[in-house]
Amino acid sequence: MGRLATGTRLGLVEFVRQPTTLAMLLVLPPVVVETYGVALESFPQLPSLGADPATAGRVTGTLFAVAFLSGLVGLFQVISARSADERMTVAGFPRATLLATRLVTMVAVTLAGGAVAFGVFARRVDVAAPALAFGVLVLAGLVYGLLGVVVGTLVPRELEGSVVLVFLADVDNALSSGLFPVDAAVPVPGAGDVAVTDLLPLYHPHELFSAAALEGELATGHLGPVAAWVLALLGIAFLAYGHSTGGGLPAPVRRWSP
Amino acid sequence: MTRVAAAFRSGATELRRTPLLLGLLVVAPAYVIYLFTAVAPDGPAVVHVSGESVRTTLPAAFPAFTTPMTAALLSGIAGLFLVGTATRADARLVVAGYRPGEVVLARLGLLVGVAAVATAVSVGVMLTAFDPERIALFVLGTGLTALVYGAVGVVAGLVLDRIAGVYLVLFGSMVDLFVFQNPLATDTHALARWLPGHYPLRVAMDAGFAGTVDPLDVALSLAVLGVLGAVATAAFYREVRLS
Repeated sequence: MGRLATGTRLGLVEFVRQPTTLAMLLVLPPVVVETYGVALESFPQLPSLGADPATAGRVTGTLFAVAFLSGLVGLFQVISARSADERMTVAGFPRATLLATRLVTMVAVTLAGGAVAFGVFARRVDVAAPALAFGVLVLAGLVYGLLGVVVGTLVPRELEGSVVLVFLADVDNALSSGLFPVDAAVPVPGAGDVAVTDLLPLYHPHELFSAAALEGELATGHLGPVAAWVLALLGIAFLAYGHSTGGGLPAPVRRWSP
Repeated sequence: MTRVAAAFRSGATELRRTPLLLGLLVVAPAYVIYLFTAVAPDGPAVVHVSGESVRTTLPAAFPAFTTPMTAALLSGIAGLFLVGTATRADARLVVAGYRPGEVVLARLGLLVGVAAVATAVSVGVMLTAFDPERIALFVLGTGLTALVYGAVGVVAGLVLDRIAGVYLVLFGSMVDLFVFQNPLATDTHALARWLPGHYPLRVAMDAGFAGTVDPLDVALSLAVLGVLGAVATAAFYREVRLS
């Protein structure tokens, strides 16, 4: 427990001491939420947006702001700390504890970013079930944070990792938000034809958030897929991270040679 | 000039020796444009270009407006990392006798190269699903969009840290190119014309759907690129000299 707390504190202090990152946490989510709302006011022709495009835009913007922030924090937590984590492993930190510290840090940032974004959202939209909506927002952040951790573990350089995450988020946000009518389906073994949007990480959180914020309901049908995403990504993250920091083998003793 | 070429070559070699990055330069645009094309429902669409409404289909409209966005995203990220994070190495070149201007020129040349590759790959994939009315002008519009966002990436990389920079490039290109400038929208928001992607994307969309491009839009695109390029160059020059 002491190691977990120490590692988490380290990650958070590292984050807080970067002024632009901290400023981004406070400034960018509100800007994203508001800009999406303003931008979608120009979209009256798309039937998928419903009666109030601005509200639909703010729902999408809030989810995107929090999810992508968490994804980036997850990505850079793993990539920038790779060599430090390897040294911590040599010093006796269990790999699982190290990854747990990264995840707890990511969750803490998600909570902070989520609170800021949700605050802005709630000022502009009459939220039907605030606690439920905020919980779903954090869940969306968790999905993307874990996705960032997995990408950062598998693609261990900042440029390539960022490209992968950015392109995933770009497509995911555009298609899962419902801004455009998408009815394509793909065959999934054991499940028949499944809509493409159902397979996107942000689709189910988007549906949960819309239902909670606008109707005050828990869309229980979407909870299972979100839980599946979280568990699957968590499992992959632990496996990949363990492998990338030494595969569970004791660290080699390096000898100095002139 | 030889030294600029040498610095450019070393940057290009660094890129070439990163097979994953090279793969992503090709796979990422292909993935986005193919996916948008594949999921587009069959149905009519009306795009609003050159002050007129043009009837087309959703499977044609989707790849058309995602192509400049994809090229812009790649260039923006490249600008952010290739230039923004290379200042320390570039500063050593200055210590070794390079003039700051030569280093800056080489790096910006590399960025132009990445923007050209991103544009070529994106348009190449798009051509499997959408045939623009004026391909050369469409490529020009897409290339200008990519360069504009490359410059935005350079500035973001020098002013912000990496997380904030990546966030800004993705959010900026999504909101600017995908939402504000979307030709499917019936009204262009007043804010849209003040965003960096407005004029270059207009060139691309007009060339793609109407077949005519207002020369003023090309001139204004070049002006936007000139301003952003000057800011990026000045910021990078200052960084290299100070590092």
